[in-house]
Amino acid sequence: MSWTRSARAIIAFALLVLLHYTLRPLLGWRTPVDFLVIAVLLSAVRVRPGAAALIGFCTGLVADSLTPSAFGAGALAMTAVGATASWLKAVFFADNVVLHGFFFFVGKWAFDIVYVSAERRMHGVELATQLLLWSPLSAALTAVAGVILLLMLRPVLEPQAA
Amino acid sequence: MARAVRSGTRVDTVLLVACCAVALLATVLPLNLREAIAGGLRRTVVAPLVTLQQQAERGRSAFLSREATTSRLDSVALRNMQLERLETENERLRAVLGLARELQWGFVSAEALRIADIGEEQSRTLTVGSRAGVEAKTPVIAPEGLVGMVRTVDPNSSIAILWTHTDFAASAMSADRSAYGIVYPHLSEAGRGENTPPERYLLELRGVAFRSALKPGTSIVTSGLGGVYPAGIPIGTVLGELRTSEGWARTYLIRPAVRPPDVSSVIVLLPKRIEGQSLDRVWRSTVSADSAARRIAAAGDSLARRAAADSVRGVEAAAARRAADSVGRLAPRDSTPAVPRPAGAPATGRPAATDSARRAQPRPDTTRPARPGVVPNGGRP
Repeated sequence: MSWTRSARAIIAFALLVLLHYTLRPLLGWRTPVDFLVIAVLLSAVRVRPGAAALIGFCTGLVADSLTPSAFGAGALAMTAVGATASWLKAVFFADNVVLHGFFFFVGKWAFDIVYVSAERRMHGVELATQLLLWSPLSAALTAVAGVILLLMLRPVLEPQAA
Repeated sequence: MARAVRSGTRVDTVLLVACCAVALLATVLPLNLREAIAGGLRRTVVAPLVTLQQQAERGRSAFLSREATTSRLDSVALRNMQLERLETENERLRAVLGLARELQWGFVSAEALRIADIGEEQSRTLTVGSRAGVEAKTPVIAPEGLVGMVRTVDPNSSIAILWTHTDFAASAMSADRSAYGIVYPHLSEAGRGENTPPERYLLELRGVAFRSALKPGTSIVTSGLGGVYPAGIPIGTVLGELRTSEGWARTYLIRPAVRPPDVSSVIVLLPKRIEGQSLDRVWRSTVSADSAARRIAAAGDSLARRAAADSVRGVEAAAARRAADSVGRLAPRDSTPAVPRPAGAPATGRPAATDSARRAQPRPDTTRPARPGVVPNGGRP
């Protein structure tokens, strides 16, 4: 990956992190869009699994700093999601918008599963409701937002050759 | 090439395992340690993001609470408008209270209610009647001066005509008693027609002897002639002379002391007060009825001023006691201005009781400004 493409990817990543800490609290939805997951997924498919794991770990640690009671859970989930996304991309992923949407959906849902499991705060019905209702809804919303952002950021992430 | 790929894969695996291990370790750390690490991150790397998040959440809260804020603002504005009306009413009532204090006896206070019927704009319904001693043809006054006259009396209410009523007439004189005449409502030329309403908010002083020239600004008061209105009630001030066809008498245009829209709380003089009684003492300065009205209105503040004066007297008494303590019994002629002990204050048995410089109890007239010299410690806090 050239320096120009790296710089563009970093800008897109920073933009998504900013959205996570500005637009998300501003919307305040019950099923929030997870811009950090989108950022990690978009970065992960452009780097090797090891670097993707590191990016996911750092991003998760940043998110965890605001929830000390679940400290480490976000880092673990993001590491897993980032590394898996990078590995899947390397194996069989195609550059398709619908597949990207599915990718975001699965990534977010997987993140929630790992996060909630590592957090060990919810149990029983509450855990099931979270993982089977709210998490899929949030994942779907994240997928929609991810696709929209992917289309908007495509000129930045993948510029057309002159 | 194959070695490089294998090496890269090994590095990826190592990184993945290391990250997962550290993350898992972080989940099982003691809470205080987790809090310390998280706090360190919040204060350094994440600080700008935390600030952004707080501002966004604040913006959302402001957006959500905008309707409640608007409602609160509307309520405050409404209460403010009501407050202004209440303040005006309060001032008015205080002025009436001041007039009542000056009159002392022979009157009843009443509310003057507007009569909604067409053609009755120049009348008011009073909330007192014959059971309160009100009779027909008794004067109705306000702190500013003459309002009108009671025309019809019922047991619990009565109807009074204002000075704007066409039937109103009052014997009047200039404040210096140099000119006499009869006051009527001023009906302009336009108002004398059938279809044009009269200009009702001025008065005319008719029948003034030709030799008696009045300057603009001269105060006009009731003369007491005729037996309806006692002498000394302010009616208004001269605006100028009106040209009439009568060559033997002058007619003057009068600006009334009382504005009809302001008539809400009034005082009705009872017959026993009218008989031979002049109200000069009430509106003391017959030279300037306006200033007298203001003084009477200011006297209405006496309740508040009396309370303030009581508190000042309490402080003075404490200061006097302190002075007496310091001087002891060695100072028989205490030059410190002592004050009477307020009611309820404990008797000290100090030399203040024998203080020759003790002041007399101030008169109830509290329109006098408070004397700065009586503030203890020279007015210092």
